[in-house]
Amino acid sequence: MKIVVAIKQVPDRDAPVRIAADAKWIEERELQWAMNEPDAYALEEALQLKEKHGGEVIVLSAGPERVGSTIREALAKGADRAIHIVCDDLNARDALGVARLLAAAIRPENPDLVLTGLQSEDLGLGQTGVILAELLGLPHATLILHVEKTDAGLKVKRELEEGWFQSIEMPLPAVLTMQSGGNKLRYATLMGIKRAKTKELRVVNAAELGVEAAAVVTLEQISAPKKQKSTQILGGSAKEAVAALVEKLKTEARVL
Amino acid sequence: MMNLLPTLAEPEHFAFWETGLFVALAGASTYGFWRRFGPILSKILQSKKDPDFHLFPIGKRAWDFVWEVLLQAKVIRERPLAGVAHALVFWAFCAFALVTLNHCAVILGVGFLDPAGRVGQLYFDFAAIFAVGCAVGILGLFVRRFLVRPRWLGELSWGSGLVALLIFALMATYLAAFFVTAPSGAVQALWWAHTLTLLAFLPLIPHTKHLHLVLSPFTVFLSRGEFAHIPPLSGDEDFGLVAGKDLTQLLSLQAYSCVECGRCMEHCPANATGKQLNPKEIVLGLRGYLNEFGPGSEEPLLGKYNTQEAAFECTTCGACEFQCPVGIEHVPILVGLRRGAVNTGVWENDYGSKLFLALERGSNALSMAAAERDKFVEKQALPIFDGTQEYCLWLGCMGAYDPQGREIVLALVRVMRHLGASFGVLRKEKCTGDSVRRLGNDLLFQQLAEANLEAMAQNRVKKIITICPHCVRTIQKDWKEFGTPPEVEHHSEFLARFASQLPSAQNEKTIVFHDPCYLGRYRGVYEEPRQVAALAGDLVEAPRSHERSFCCGAGGGLAFLGEEKGERVSKVRAEELAATGAGVVAAACPFCNTMLRDALAARGEGAPELLDIAQLVARGLPKGSAE
Repeated sequence: MKIVVAIKQVPDRDAPVRIAADAKWIEERELQWAMNEPDAYALEEALQLKEKHGGEVIVLSAGPERVGSTIREALAKGADRAIHIVCDDLNARDALGVARLLAAAIRPENPDLVLTGLQSEDLGLGQTGVILAELLGLPHATLILHVEKTDAGLKVKRELEEGWFQSIEMPLPAVLTMQSGGNKLRYATLMGIKRAKTKELRVVNAAELGVEAAAVVTLEQISAPKKQKSTQILGGSAKEAVAALVEKLKTEARVL
Repeated sequence: MMNLLPTLAEPEHFAFWETGLFVALAGASTYGFWRRFGPILSKILQSKKDPDFHLFPIGKRAWDFVWEVLLQAKVIRERPLAGVAHALVFWAFCAFALVTLNHCAVILGVGFLDPAGRVGQLYFDFAAIFAVGCAVGILGLFVRRFLVRPRWLGELSWGSGLVALLIFALMATYLAAFFVTAPSGAVQALWWAHTLTLLAFLPLIPHTKHLHLVLSPFTVFLSRGEFAHIPPLSGDEDFGLVAGKDLTQLLSLQAYSCVECGRCMEHCPANATGKQLNPKEIVLGLRGYLNEFGPGSEEPLLGKYNTQEAAFECTTCGACEFQCPVGIEHVPILVGLRRGAVNTGVWENDYGSKLFLALERGSNALSMAAAERDKFVEKQALPIFDGTQEYCLWLGCMGAYDPQGREIVLALVRVMRHLGASFGVLRKEKCTGDSVRRLGNDLLFQQLAEANLEAMAQNRVKKIITICPHCVRTIQKDWKEFGTPPEVEHHSEFLARFASQLPSAQNEKTIVFHDPCYLGRYRGVYEEPRQVAALAGDLVEAPRSHERSFCCGAGGGLAFLGEEKGERVSKVRAEELAATGAGVVAAACPFCNTMLRDALAARGEGAPELLDIAQLVARGLPKGSAE
């Protein structure tokens, strides 16, 4: 099975995020970068499918030069080769624009399966994978936790609300957007990093792909959420207070 | 005058057939020795060269050789009775080198020590004193091995019984020759009895653990010389100890040098608490591997002879390596096996993966958001290091994120302020990489070490002080592989230096100090923390203390690997500390602190109080001072 995994590099969780002067995006200097977590799960699923059924895993990422470190990480974890779409204006492109870039790079590969995370940890739009499927003219499913190859195509486990799951059978080729947590991620190894050095990393310039950059959605402004703390004191007898607390934990905090 | 001294009787003539028989037997005996020893030697020599081995400076090697081999000081110090018995045998063997040479030379007509001559007589008498000592020593060792039998000696070995018998016979036949006069049949018979014993003994050496007789002097002399030193990997195909091809000459030499005395096993916290790991079996496993597969083999080292489970049960406390009388370096072996498994991705462990992934993406081993450290620094108004202060106060993962660790840091801060020491903390810190280093993740360790070294250089850090002995060790020794780390010291050393300026806060409660492995055995710091703790009350000692201290169970990354098999190491240690009757357990490591805290809490009411030495001192500060 030939699998393409589209990954995005996002600011590391521990990175100090500051809003840029024009309030259109965050200050990128001094940021540490990491692989988008749902994409890491997409990669893990692809690697496990390859280990079971053979084939090839190709990682694909669009972004400036810094994205190379995330691509190398994916190669180190076991991807066979990589394509880096170099574009310095990723933030100026909307989900459609990015999906067009990815689709243009994927088409000549003619893969059996395209995997990507269900959303990115920075923008969290959850659109790119779905638009990508449309552009490629392939069936897709979202929020996938687990993929099983069958004779007819795929059987996938999809996450619904409230702890429900849906099992779907679908044909190949297909596009799936992966949810975090379906697998155990593997750690990067020294051997993986050393082997990765010899793997093919093809660099294509965004301009070469013949994709228009004009965005249909533009980001006007970003702002930090306002910090707010509210304390409620539950009155009444201990019994009443406990009942009220349980109710709140169920309906408001949704932890029960 | 001369007649007053006893004289050894030596045969004056040998029949032609006697000489012929001797030559034939000596040849057979030497052949028997070499048939086994030759292949062992070639396995050692065929092993990979040690990439970081340097013979020079030779002074320390020479000293270790004199101290540990010639003077038998380590053997005696760590186990006095058996050690003295062993030393008596060893010294007699040294004294007998000339005696034996002469003994064989006599039948060939080239004897060089004349029993009647002044020098000869003196030397033979001198050797006789050692022979008596040796006979007593070997009897003692025989009794210990076959009658007393500590559990760590392993299965009863008839080989060592036979060897003991032969050694005793050697001494007896030598001493008996002082009570007969030549020429006589008795003298001839004694000479032959001594010779036959000798020739039977020689081929036994490489077939039994007595191989250490030949190898261990080399092992001690050639050891890497630094306690628990983890050697750098070399080249693109070195991932640690994966297969036989990764075994170096020193490792193979060590594998064949093991004398199976079991000191490593006796002191191993994992072994003592019902886990699979037995450091002795790890070394003997390597020997078994070399015997079957040889160096250069691709067969995994973790397989038939050693298991992954055992390798990952090691707390890297180093008690085994510290005790080993023949210079075996267990910690690099165990860490090497882990490196082989982790660097190639063979090790699969949910806790381990979680730790690695947390550190790949985050800053600390506790999987906390880095912002939590920022909040702590801000809330406590800790000064930020700007290059002008004397000390960079390194918080470490425990000091920055763990509630108890934070308490220790704050206590130290109070004391430092009281002393007027200038210090600051870094804006950002990443884990030093201690746990991943010792779990064998070289990729992650290198990333952490390099990022930290860069931050040190950027911030112009010259001197680090920290509450964590693991951080001290990793910064001082392990980072060296990737750059020049700043000077670093543990807070016990700092506090001891200023002890005279600290208030004495004598309390009625007695204090027992628990030596952290990474402060004691790893750094040789035993007295400083005691000096500090003594400010707060009278000290008592646990049965196992100083270099024999028993681990808390946290080291080697095990603090992050979830529940242990068998009994908890921390429970055993906590009970030992509580049994001293001390009112306070003083710790000097945030990992020991957290392990002992849980174990002491499990004891319920009446458990001794647990405090870091910095907290003990801070208690004595005048109220409200330098807050």
